Amino acid sequence: MENIALKASGITKYFHDPVTFPVLKNIDLEVKQGEFVSIVGKSGCGKSTLLYVLSTMDRDYEGKLEINGKMATGSTLNELAYIRNSSIGFVFQFHYLLPDFSCLKNVMIPGLRLGKLSPKEVEHNAYEKLKMFGVEDLALKQSSKLSGGQQQRVAIARALINDPAIIMGDEPTGNLDSKNTRIVFDLFQQLTKEFHQTIITVTHDDDFAHKSDRIIEMADGEIVK
Amino acid sequence: MKISVNTEIALTYLSSRKKQTVVASMGVMFGISMFIFMQSLMKGTNDYFEKSSFSSTSHIRLYSENKVADSHMLKGFLIDSSVKMLTNPKQLKQSQGLNNPYGIIRNIKKNPQVTYVTPQVTAMVIYSSGSVTLNGTVAGVSIDEEDKMFDVQTNMVTGNLHDLNRVNNGILIGKGIADKLSLHVGDNITVRAGIGSPMIMRVIGIYATTVKQIDETKSYANIVQAQNLLGKDRSYVTDIKINIANYNDAPKVAHELETITGYKAEDWVQSNEQLKAAFKIRAIILNSVIGVILLVAGFGIYNILNMTIYEKIKEIAILKATGFSGKSVISIFLQQAVYIGIIGGIVGIIFGFGITLMVSRIYIGAGTLKYLPMSFYIPHYVEAVCFGVLTTIAAGYFPARKASKVDPVTIIRG
Repeated sequence: MENIALKASGITKYFHDPVTFPVLKNIDLEVKQGEFVSIVGKSGCGKSTLLYVLSTMDRDYEGKLEINGKMATGSTLNELAYIRNSSIGFVFQFHYLLPDFSCLKNVMIPGLRLGKLSPKEVEHNAYEKLKMFGVEDLALKQSSKLSGGQQQRVAIARALINDPAIIMGDEPTGNLDSKNTRIVFDLFQQLTKEFHQTIITVTHDDDFAHKSDRIIEMADGEIVK
Repeated sequence: MKISVNTEIALTYLSSRKKQTVVASMGVMFGISMFIFMQSLMKGTNDYFEKSSFSSTSHIRLYSENKVADSHMLKGFLIDSSVKMLTNPKQLKQSQGLNNPYGIIRNIKKNPQVTYVTPQVTAMVIYSSGSVTLNGTVAGVSIDEEDKMFDVQTNMVTGNLHDLNRVNNGILIGKGIADKLSLHVGDNITVRAGIGSPMIMRVIGIYATTVKQIDETKSYANIVQAQNLLGKDRSYVTDIKINIANYNDAPKVAHELETITGYKAEDWVQSNEQLKAAFKIRAIILNSVIGVILLVAGFGIYNILNMTIYEKIKEIAILKATGFSGKSVISIFLQQAVYIGIIGGIVGIIFGFGITLMVSRIYIGAGTLKYLPMSFYIPHYVEAVCFGVLTTIAAGYFPARKASKVDPVTIIRG
């Protein structure tokens, strides 16, 4: 019996602007620990919306969401912030690094926020993560001075700093060339196989999706497959 | 030293936008330095006026006051239970002197608050020299005690005030009297009190205060001479002048002395109402100016932080997405405000001290006032920093709260 990393039941969400219509319709989803899941579908099918609900950032939904066996629905904002900090790493479509800080600091900040390790240890870990993506040479550069691909890799390193149980990506490789996409994919696979971390990504990249453990296909706010 | 991650982010934001930080700090700096400058000016001026008013008046003056007749006074004549009524009461003439003045003085000296007590005989007189006459008052005093209390020495123009003890019929006259009667040290002057016989006295010195009216009327003589002038005996004293440790307690002490002695004790506040009014008016003007300055500085900080939050809205969303709670975001932005306040405060203190020092060198040169009176009073500086930091916290709180309410989903998804 494998552990369930994430369980969503009866997720329904409406957009109210300009008219009220359902984006997500009664979605049930279970992701096991160590699974590598890709969510695919056409633009506007609600896959990103689903991901933001699963990430606990979007709280405007109906239904129930459990993360690591803990009920996230109905938790306070501070509790959710803690869940995101400790258990979820999020990679956005655009890198969204903090431009005033060095790459190293960008990676360290969520780790420092969590405060479980000393700043020295966090720094060491941050270097390790940067090394995984081959950007450790850029560690002390200001993040705004990097190229798009480099920034995206730093952003992925940031998502991994607290060794989160679940890593979520909203088209994490959207801005990367094929070589870097392969690096990221291999790393993601390594994380699921060796460290039993769970990965849920939304992607348009069919190759990327087909290599993952499970593909969830969405259409019109429902899971088709 | 361990710096929390919130502090680190706050400091990075401040240092990555140096210009804005400097502008915001300068706003606080001006507020605080103006605060210090205005407070120093006001306290300096107030102190000066207080001091100059105490150069001629004591903190408390005890004297015998005429009373209005009332029906109780009839009790001595009509010893029965009849109802006593008095219509059209008039002032009763009392003896101007105090009964048993030296006993009273001994009594007053027992009060721990009292620092100086000295008796005085005040006589209304007519000065004459040649055919010219002049109205005025002679204060019969012990000149040594008078000097201790009012620092007469600093007002001396010519002559030695201690000659008042040595020269038998010496008199120390104001500069106005000397000018009008063209008198010099060593000249004779005829002094006549209302009912007494004229006395020839010798000018032993001339003094000048900043108050023309005093210089033209008042002169000092030995208390015995003043008693002779009035044809009274040695126990005749019209006023007892009292100084106390803290002049702000004068009304309270005056009240105590009144109940003990039964005579009227007038404190300096009563005799200098206009001074007190001027203090109050100056305080109001000053506080409103400071209020406006700090308000403007506060708005400056508010604006700059607000702008920062619009600029950084995506970054705030990212911080929240990676697990920063609303509280952490408030802490990040409030800390920025506090640091701006502290930087502005420190520079403001230095700047305020500088302005105060510079202004205290401005030459006035009127009367005994040489330079603009400024006070260097530490509590002003402490108050200024407290006010400054409070203003910045208040100004920073609202933008910070706004930042904490940023919804990461709407910002990141656009």
